[in-house]
Amino acid sequence: MKISSFKWLFGRNSEFWPTNMKTGMWAWVGHRLTGLALVAYVFLHLSFISTASMAEGGADFDVLMETTSQPLFVAMDFLLVIVVIYHAMNGLRVVLFDLGVGIRRQKLVFWVTMAISAVLIVGGLLAIWHLVFPEGVA
Amino acid sequence: MSEQTVATSKVAGTWAWAFQRISAVLLIVFLAVHLYASHFMDVGEETSGESLITFDEVSLRLDQLLYIVVDYGMLSMVLLHGLNGFRTVLFDFDMFVKRKKVIDVTLWVVGIGTLIWGIVILFPFISGAGG
Repeated sequence: MKISSFKWLFGRNSEFWPTNMKTGMWAWVGHRLTGLALVAYVFLHLSFISTASMAEGGADFDVLMETTSQPLFVAMDFLLVIVVIYHAMNGLRVVLFDLGVGIRRQKLVFWVTMAISAVLIVGGLLAIWHLVFPEGVA
Repeated sequence: MSEQTVATSKVAGTWAWAFQRISAVLLIVFLAVHLYASHFMDVGEETSGESLITFDEVSLRLDQLLYIVVDYGMLSMVLLHGLNGFRTVLFDFDMFVKRKKVIDVTLWVVGIGTLIWGIVILFPFISGAGG
């Protein structure tokens, strides 16, 4: 597939217009967007660590850890969890299809991987919840 | 055959395609080990009573080969997989297909440069400098 092989990129007649997209197309677009976001995240992640590791004795690192434990950053961490899990699970589906597994039931496989993703995301939420509220606030 | 009809997979190449699948599976394994090692093994957590991760704790963790192997292995895989994926996205557009050589060289330079950057910024933690 190739962007230029799509007839229309924008507007109601576009293959990318939400109501014109089918399951596989949504999965593909989602994979692209989460992939690009994750590449951006890697560079952001390295920038954060590099500013912190420059300090003698690690004082800056400890300050950074304090900053990144604020609710805003924890919320963004959870967003990262969602993005990573979607990309990993949909990627697994792509690998399975390339191996010839499940292509004939591609929609079902998509929803099964999404169900597994949902479970993992809830698990991630519980793990983060525990880190934010170690005393067990409901 | 006009340029418009060449599929992205043809431009990107079979090796790039195969590598993306292999690194994808490796990354899932790395991610699982990384999460387990970071949040469940509790290495170094006895050094402070607080739940926040400190420089000294990370330093203590990086005294162990497992953490170094997982961190650097994951970093290289993430960069290769991420930039290779970005390359695939670029080659979906004719304007980038025309500049394939420049893009390939640029991505290798960015990838290797970032890898060295990532390796170097962990040195203070590994040596425990000042910690």
